[in-house]
Amino acid sequence: MRCNAIFTKTAFFRLILGLAIFSSASFFAPQFAFAVSGTVDISGTVPGCGDGVIQSGEECDGSNLNGKSCSTQGFSGGTLSCNSNCAFNTSQCTSAPSSGGGGGGGGGGGYTAPATGVTFSGRAYPKSTITVLKDAQIAATTVADANANFSVSVTGISSGNYIFSVYSEDGKGIRSSLLTFPVSVTSGATTNIGGVFIAPTIAVDKSEVKRGDNIAIFGQSVPSGEITIAVSSEEEFFGKTAADPNGAYLYNFDTTQLDMGQHFTKSKAAKEGAISSFSKAISFLVGTKNIAAELSRVVTKGDMNNDRRVNLVDFSIAAYWYKRSSPPASVDLNGDGKVDLIDFSIMAFYWTG
Amino acid sequence: MKKVLFIFLSIAFLFPYHLFAAEIFYDADTRKVKANTEFEVGVFLNAESENINAIEGILRFPADILEFKELNDGNSIVNFWVERPSRRVENEIIFSGITPGGFVGKRGLIFRITFLAKNEGNGKLEMQNIKALLNDGNGTAADISVSPLKIIITSQDLSLPPKKETKDQEPPESFKPEIARDPAIFDGKWFLVFATQDKGLGIGRYEIKETRSRIFGLFPKWISAESPYALRDQKLKSYIFVKAVDKAGNVRIEKILPRNPLRWYENYENWIIIILGLVIAYAIKKFLWKRHLKK
Repeated sequence: MRCNAIFTKTAFFRLILGLAIFSSASFFAPQFAFAVSGTVDISGTVPGCGDGVIQSGEECDGSNLNGKSCSTQGFSGGTLSCNSNCAFNTSQCTSAPSSGGGGGGGGGGGYTAPATGVTFSGRAYPKSTITVLKDAQIAATTVADANANFSVSVTGISSGNYIFSVYSEDGKGIRSSLLTFPVSVTSGATTNIGGVFIAPTIAVDKSEVKRGDNIAIFGQSVPSGEITIAVSSEEEFFGKTAADPNGAYLYNFDTTQLDMGQHFTKSKAAKEGAISSFSKAISFLVGTKNIAAELSRVVTKGDMNNDRRVNLVDFSIAAYWYKRSSPPASVDLNGDGKVDLIDFSIMAFYWTG
Repeated sequence: MKKVLFIFLSIAFLFPYHLFAAEIFYDADTRKVKANTEFEVGVFLNAESENINAIEGILRFPADILEFKELNDGNSIVNFWVERPSRRVENEIIFSGITPGGFVGKRGLIFRITFLAKNEGNGKLEMQNIKALLNDGNGTAADISVSPLKIIITSQDLSLPPKKETKDQEPPESFKPEIARDPAIFDGKWFLVFATQDKGLGIGRYEIKETRSRIFGLFPKWISAESPYALRDQKLKSYIFVKAVDKAGNVRIEKILPRNPLRWYENYENWIIIILGLVIAYAIKKFLWKRHLKK
């Protein structure tokens, strides 16, 4: 009996322990997963994009495509992949219409209703990243091929009016200006916007150039494209150069013909009859000495929290200071002592999403 | 040919503003409406050949004959409102917003307003302090013209179709709220930013819920919020839910996982489960022990 009681007590404690372990293991498994992710957090990786788990706002994560393929994205075939910002990369999807059956009047592929969406295709810079904004927020990114051609789709949207914008970032991290497209999206149809020609990127090697010295104007565009450089002065000067097979171009401009003071330069590209719009205009000073320019990798104007992006976070910071007194200098973009519509307009120009 | 050129240049000289300026316009030049009926007015931007990325103004309406009913900013070309269109005083609607990258087009909807024609009479919708800025990186003001909208409220039966009821069954667009921190606002505290669009009747409101509970997180109440929103949980251990509700009541909820999740032993829910487990185990033990004694 005593022995029996000892056995029962032992069994009881085992039972308690077993239940505790069971409840911990079964109920807390996801919690332990968070704890693991917390450890990753400490090492510098924030849970989110790149952790292989699809979370809010992510279309995919690494190799996890959430069961989607090119065909679910409105294409007929090809390979769907995931970009580093956890948006689908549809550049390897093919959009040829699925052919109906074989010869002899046989059946064939069934009809798949097209997804509601918009497809952009055109030219950027070789191997550059193209970002598509939907109503000013990042909707998709892709990478252009070696010939600077790209195609990217935004699907899974409602019918209605949208403002889409497209921009690219060259190999040096310089961003193009935004190309915007007001689009009316129809339910059950894919709107194709082809022939997009993103303006070249542009930079100069000197922020101040000694009058009479050359200033190098450079950037990236389509391979072997014809680049037109415009330099503003009392009269505008134009020059032409050709981009190399990587799309890089360089133009040495003789400043002898310029007056002392601030000047602006911009560029546009042409290839096979297509012409891009002008790039952003960047400024340089013609003076008495040469000062090397810092490559403007980092977005300056409008990037209030210094994350190299101009987006909703920056807008919200500015909105907080809207019509309030004594705003910080980082928020008052035109330095007039207040945050008003002009500051928001400047921010909207430098927007990256 | 010379004559045509002369006429064109003469008009250009006399009315330069209207020939080349951007324009704010309405659905029609004149609206004749039967008293005691509701009608809608769309306010549009014609950017002409300009690229406009910011717009603001005040729309003044005759409050003696019109009663403001509602405002719809669904499908607007304005992506972010600095001041969401709203009635500031009885007869004024103020608005201010931006379109990143700019708008180039002839007919960009800014918003729609619904009025009730409450009394017979005549009046005008007029824009004041209107400002449109170019997408040039400097916020340069664009030339802009506005023509008033004449309103005639009559007792006559105009046999016009009633105001079209817009069915909005689509939820707001998906969006990605972001957590950020900046010394410029909220004393450097963590805050949340969020914004989305609705292609139907427009966004009605946003609500937020912060909870450290995974299971009992259903119970805390939603609270109305605007972006930017200072987070209550500055340790970022909470799940954050942002609900966008459109004016038809359709809902889109987005969730952000905690950046610094609780350790398992920090979550009281886990202890509740353990205690429940122990209680159940104790009850089973008691039950088995009693059966054993009976034998």
